[in-house]
Amino acid sequence: MTHAISPTILIVDDDEGHAILIRENLEAAGLPNPIRHFRDGQAILDFFAQEPLRGPQSFLILLDIRMPKVDGIEVLRRLKSDAELGRLPVIMLTTTDDTREVERCYQLGCNVYIQKPVDYERFAEAIRRLGLFVPLLLVPAVSAR
Amino acid sequence: MVPTHDAFPPDRRRLETDLSKTVKELRDIKAALDEHSIVAITDDAGRITHVNEKFCAISQFSRDELLGRDHRIINSGHHPKEFFHHLWTTITAGQVWHGEIRNRAKDGSCYWVDTTIYPFLDEAGAPLQFIAIRTDITTRKANEEELQRVVAELAEKNKELEAIVYTVSHDLRSPLVNVQGFGKQLNRACDTIRAAMTAAGNGPVPAEPLRQPVDVAIPQALRFINAGVHKMEALLAGLLRYSRLGRVALSIRPLNVEGLIEDLVAAMRFQLDQAGGEVAVGPLPICQADHVQTGQVFANLLDNALKYRDPARPLRVTISGEIRGDQAIYLVRDNGVGISPEHQGKIFEIFHRLNPEDTPGEGLGLTIAQRVLERQRGKIWVESRLGEGSTFYVSLPALEHRS
Repeated sequence: MTHAISPTILIVDDDEGHAILIRENLEAAGLPNPIRHFRDGQAILDFFAQEPLRGPQSFLILLDIRMPKVDGIEVLRRLKSDAELGRLPVIMLTTTDDTREVERCYQLGCNVYIQKPVDYERFAEAIRRLGLFVPLLLVPAVSAR
Repeated sequence: MVPTHDAFPPDRRRLETDLSKTVKELRDIKAALDEHSIVAITDDAGRITHVNEKFCAISQFSRDELLGRDHRIINSGHHPKEFFHHLWTTITAGQVWHGEIRNRAKDGSCYWVDTTIYPFLDEAGAPLQFIAIRTDITTRKANEEELQRVVAELAEKNKELEAIVYTVSHDLRSPLVNVQGFGKQLNRACDTIRAAMTAAGNGPVPAEPLRQPVDVAIPQALRFINAGVHKMEALLAGLLRYSRLGRVALSIRPLNVEGLIEDLVAAMRFQLDQAGGEVAVGPLPICQADHVQTGQVFANLLDNALKYRDPARPLRVTISGEIRGDQAIYLVRDNGVGISPEHQGKIFEIFHRLNPEDTPGEGLGLTIAQRVLERQRGKIWVESRLGEGSTFYVSLPALEHRS
């Protein structure tokens, strides 16, 4: 199955304003993807724990770093250490520009690191391009646990 | 003919004059040396054969106690065996040794001396005796140690400050992103309204295209811009509060922590009763601390125990204490939600909050508690198990030491 599917964009950000801005600007830039918002790292981990990935569906994760409970780096680490979830593209989207954090995220396997505030035109373009590759990254169906 | 002394009277007189001049000169030099330095002479085996007044004064031993002994009588145990071994091999090889030695006086107190040991050699180059000339550098050593301590402390403070600047700049950037982003949304709403007005020409502007910007976009943007501005204001106020802490004058006195905590518990009685919470205050040691600032620390800990109680069971707080060495340790133990290991290191970070949605606060309480305690030579740390509760440890200088 190689036909293009618009991946669902999962925004993980504890700041409601940031999440709304991302959503509205991506929509304004014409991205047709469904968008969901998670308020912290624990919420997205719970989401994947409760809903095993079923094909054909794909996700693209926009991950903030500084969040209460489970922070973005920990979420990235856990996603990337999972054989199936590890294949989902992850964009770190954060106010942090500490080079050590940036390096850490790339080491852990994030696809792109973008600093807020975001130039949404270019951001939407990046997502569009990443989205083109997403069908190749389609997660295989998982039997119910 | 054998020359007689009388045959050279002028030479002999000159020799005698020279000799007495030299002896006087040597005596003067020795007097000057004794005036300035701590001097000891030992035989070739290291046994003390001469000490000057300054040696006796600084070591607190009498001359009789020192003569015939070796320098082990003032050994402080500070230097390793190799140190003295190297000293001894240097001087017995006929070379000068120079170094700094920490010695112990008769009453057990220690003093530092800058030392030069000079061997007197026979014609074959073997040492006959050694002269040790020393200068008291105890004050300088103490100053050096103090300097090193201050340098380490400053480096630590700088690191902390860097971390704070980093955290604050990013916490400030977060609301700024909203102000900036929703500012653009306002622009966009203006564009929509302007387009509707242009389309209407001089006629009445229809309501429909105005609904989204006026009813949805603009109020939403204003809400987030205002919230962002308030957030930034609160962060700056918190930062100022934190920074001013360092300037508050402390009044360190013996502090009855037990009474202090009983007052705090009485003041919190209403909130505790409402939460069905109980606080047990054990016998607590007296410490030396500032009443107001230390009160804030314990008030914050009790407040946290209330905030982070586990709704599944009634809150129980136990406050106990003990003396460890020269520190009074206070344990504030609760049966609340507990803190996971990965969060325990972060709870003292400025503006870090465990549960910002469910609990009020600015993320400053424990940061300030830590700062307040550090200024009083105290500490705070935590042990916790998620789901079981937390124990906060506060240490402050005790009024009485326990060895």
